[in-house]
Amino acid sequence: MAMTAVARETVFALRRQIAKIEGTLPERLQAPASAAPRAVADADRTVVRRGIAVAAPDAFLGTGVERLDAALSGGLPKAALSEIHGAETRDAGAVAAFALSLASLILKPGPSFEQSTHGQGILDQGASKQGSAFKQELPVLWIGTQEIFREAGFPYARGLHASFGIAPEQLLFSEAAKLTDALWIAEEAAKMTALAAVILEVRGNPRGLDLTATRRLHARAQGAGRPVFLLRQAAAPEPTAAPVRLIVSPAPAVARETIAGPLAGSIGRPAFTVTIGKSRTALPGQFTLEWNPDERRFDERRGEERRRRQWAENPVPVVSLSGGRKDPAAAAGAVLAFPSAGAPAAGDQPSRQQRAAHLGPRRAG
Amino acid sequence: MISHRDSNAQRISALDERAEALHLKPGMGIADARAMHPSIDIVEADPEADRRLLEGLADWCDRYTPLVALDGTDGLFLDITGCTHLFGGERAMLDDILSRFFHQGFDVRAGLASTPGAAWAAAHFCGDRIVVSGGEDVLLAPLPLAALRIDPATRASLESVGLRTAGAVMAAPRAPLARRFGGSLLLRLDQALGRLDEAVSPRLPVAPLSVERHLAEPVVLTEDIERLVQMLATTLKSDLERRGEGARSLALLLFRVDGAVSRIALGTSRPLREPLLIQKLFHERLAALEQHIDAGYGFDLVRLSVLSAVAFDMPQADLAGEVSDDGADIADFADRIRARLGEGAVLKPVTVESHLPERAVATIPFTEAPRRTTPPKKPDRMQAPMTIFPPERPIRLFRSPEPIEVPATEMPEGPPLNFRWRRASYRVMRAEGPERIAAEWWREASGDAAASTRDYFRIEDADGRRYWLYRQGLYGSSEIPPRWFLHGVFA
Repeated sequence: MAMTAVARETVFALRRQIAKIEGTLPERLQAPASAAPRAVADADRTVVRRGIAVAAPDAFLGTGVERLDAALSGGLPKAALSEIHGAETRDAGAVAAFALSLASLILKPGPSFEQSTHGQGILDQGASKQGSAFKQELPVLWIGTQEIFREAGFPYARGLHASFGIAPEQLLFSEAAKLTDALWIAEEAAKMTALAAVILEVRGNPRGLDLTATRRLHARAQGAGRPVFLLRQAAAPEPTAAPVRLIVSPAPAVARETIAGPLAGSIGRPAFTVTIGKSRTALPGQFTLEWNPDERRFDERRGEERRRRQWAENPVPVVSLSGGRKDPAAAAGAVLAFPSAGAPAAGDQPSRQQRAAHLGPRRAG
Repeated sequence: MISHRDSNAQRISALDERAEALHLKPGMGIADARAMHPSIDIVEADPEADRRLLEGLADWCDRYTPLVALDGTDGLFLDITGCTHLFGGERAMLDDILSRFFHQGFDVRAGLASTPGAAWAAAHFCGDRIVVSGGEDVLLAPLPLAALRIDPATRASLESVGLRTAGAVMAAPRAPLARRFGGSLLLRLDQALGRLDEAVSPRLPVAPLSVERHLAEPVVLTEDIERLVQMLATTLKSDLERRGEGARSLALLLFRVDGAVSRIALGTSRPLREPLLIQKLFHERLAALEQHIDAGYGFDLVRLSVLSAVAFDMPQADLAGEVSDDGADIADFADRIRARLGEGAVLKPVTVESHLPERAVATIPFTEAPRRTTPPKKPDRMQAPMTIFPPERPIRLFRSPEPIEVPATEMPEGPPLNFRWRRASYRVMRAEGPERIAAEWWREASGDAAASTRDYFRIEDADGRRYWLYRQGLYGSSEIPPRWFLHGVFA
C-alpha cells in the first residue's frame, strides 16, 4: 500500500465521518495493513446495533440488574432518546422515579463509570475530554409542560436529594406553557454536553410530539452523547424515533428490613415494574426492580430467592448459637418450601388480583 | 371637543381651534355649549389614555436625552445638558424636535433655557424660544404670574395686591413676600432664575452605557435589526472591556419613525460582553416577540443600552488556548431559553431552612452560582441538624395540597383506610406515620394553632403507588373538623 501517512489519515477521517452518518463502527471498516491485527481484535469485542450510532461497549447505561441488562443487550443507550411510559397520570411518581434513578446512575461516582468516559472516540469527544469527576457535577434538566406539573406535582428537590442523591444545585427545572415550547427547550438542551441528562415530561399523546419531533430529539442526543428521557404519562404507545421504550408502573414495596427481620406494615424501598415495550434488540419481558437509595443501585426483586442469597452472602446468625450441640448450619440452606428455580419473569410477586385477595380488605399492619 | 365631569356637571375640559373659533371656552358647561352650537362633537375625557400617550412621547424623547421627566398632564422636561452637540446645537435640536413632533401630528410648544422654570415659562408663554444663560429675568419680567408655576391661590392674592407680572414680584422686597405668601413663591422664583438648583427627576434610570445608531433609511426586517444589534454590541464590547465589566441586563430600544418606541429588555445569568452571544439572545427575544413588535414604517434609531453591569472576570485559558467551562454553556443555554420564554422558564431549586415541606424548597430563576473557590463541604448541608433517620420526603409535591375525601379511619388519629382523590377511590394497604408538622407560629400572625397542625402519613395503595397524605387539624380540639389533603407522591 503506497499511500503516504497524511493521505491515509485523510481517508480514515472521511471514513469515520461516513461511518458516523451510517451508524456503523469505524473499526469495522477496512483498516490499513499495519493496524489490521488490532482492528480485528476490536471488531470481536464490539457490538453493532442498527439505529444507534456507534455501539461501543460503554455506550450503554447498565441498570445493574443482570437480567434486564441482558434483555436490553447491554443496557439503555446513553446517547439516545429513551421513552419511559406510564399507564396513568397517577403513576407519575413511579415513572419519574425510574428516570431519576437512571440519572442517578449516570451521576453516581464509581469505578464502573471511570472507565466508561475514556476512549469514547469520535462519538463523544466532548465527554471524553473530561473525567468522570466532572460528569458527577453536571446538572440534570427536567422539562415539563405546565399541565403535567399541575396534574402530577412539581419535582421536590429535597425528596430528590434524599431518594436519588441528586443535589439541589444539580437540578434545573423548566416549565413550559405549551408543548412546542417544551420541545424547543428539550431540543436546545439535548444538544448540550454540559448537562448530564435531560428529562422531558409530557402528558398524553399530543400531536406535536410525533415521529419528526422525536427524531430531532434523538439526533441531538446522539450528537451530544447524552441521554434524553422522554417521560410520557397516560400515553398510548405510538411510533417514535426512540430505540427503547420502557413501560413503568409502581409495584408494592416490601417491608423495611430491620435487624429483627422485616417490619410489618412498613413501606420499604421504592419498587417498580418495568416492561420492555419496544426495543430493536430486546426480547419482551417484565422485571420488578427495587431502587436502593443508599447505594444508588437497582436490585431485582425475586422474592424469597433474594433473601436467601443475602442470607448465603452473610450467614452470621443474629443470636449466637448455644454451645454443646450439633452444628445446624449445613441443614439450614435446604429448608425451603418453594425453591424458585424457573421463576416467572415478573419475579415471585403475586399478581395484583392475587395480592389483593390474600391481603384482604384490612391493611397488613 | 373633550368633556369631563366636574362637581356633578359636564364641562368642557379641552377643545380644538375650530371650537375656539365658535367662542367656546374650557370650563363651560356642556349643556350651554350644546345650546349654542348643537352640532359640536363631544368626547369624554380619558385621563388614563392621555397619560399613556404622554409616556409614549416621553419614551420617544429618549432619543434626545436619557433624562426625560413628565411635567403634569401635558408637559415633558428634557434635560439636554451635554446632548446638544449631537444634534448640531441648541437651535438645530429644538427645530428637530419641533419638526418631528409636527410630522407626528402634535402641536407642540417648546422652550429652551438653562433652568427648568425658565424653560417652562418660555414654552408656555413665549413659544419656541431659546433663553440664553443669564437672560431668565429678562424673559420672565413681562410674563404673567402663571409663568412662575405657583398655585392659583397665591396667584390670586398676589394679583389682589397689584403684583400682576413676574417682573413686579421680582422687583418687590423679598422678606415681606416670604412672610405674606410663604416660601414656595420665592422658591419658584429662585428656581426659575437659577439661584437655586432644581432637579428634574427622570422617569427611567439612566443606563450606564448605551450605544445607538441613527439610520437614514428606516429598517423593517428583523434580520436587519439583529445585524444592527451585533454592530452595536461590538461597540459596546470595547466600552465594557475598558470598564472591566460585563452586562447583566440589556435593553434594546427601537424608535419607530412615527414615534412609537419598542423597548426589549433581557437579563443574563452571567456577565456578558461577547457581541455574538448578545445578538443570539436578542434573536431569541425578537423571535418570541414577533407578533408584538410592529415595525410599521420602520425604525430610524436603534439603541442598545446596558442597564446593569457587574465586574467581569476573564476565565483562565489552558495552554492550548481553550477555556473549558461547562458553567458558561449552561448559562448561555438558560439565557437563550429565558430570552424567548420569559424569566421563569429555567428554574433552579434552593433549599430553605423550614420544616414546612412547601416552604423548604424555593424555585428561583436560574442565575449562575458564584464560582466555588473552596471545595464543597463534605458533610451534607441538606441536613443541617444531623438526624439519624431523615424523614422521608416525596419526589413530587403538588403546588397546592389537593383535598381528598376520607370516609373513615381506624383510629381517630390514625391513617385513613381508604380515600377518594380526583374522583377515584384508593384503598390504603399500608401506612407509615404520623409525622407531625406544626405551622410556623413565628410567621403566621394568628389563628388556631391546632387547626393548622398537620399529621403526615406515607401510604401505599393496592397498586403500589405511594402517596403523602396529611390531616390538617386535630380531633376534638377545635370546632373545625380536620380535613385531609394529598400533598405529594413518593418514588
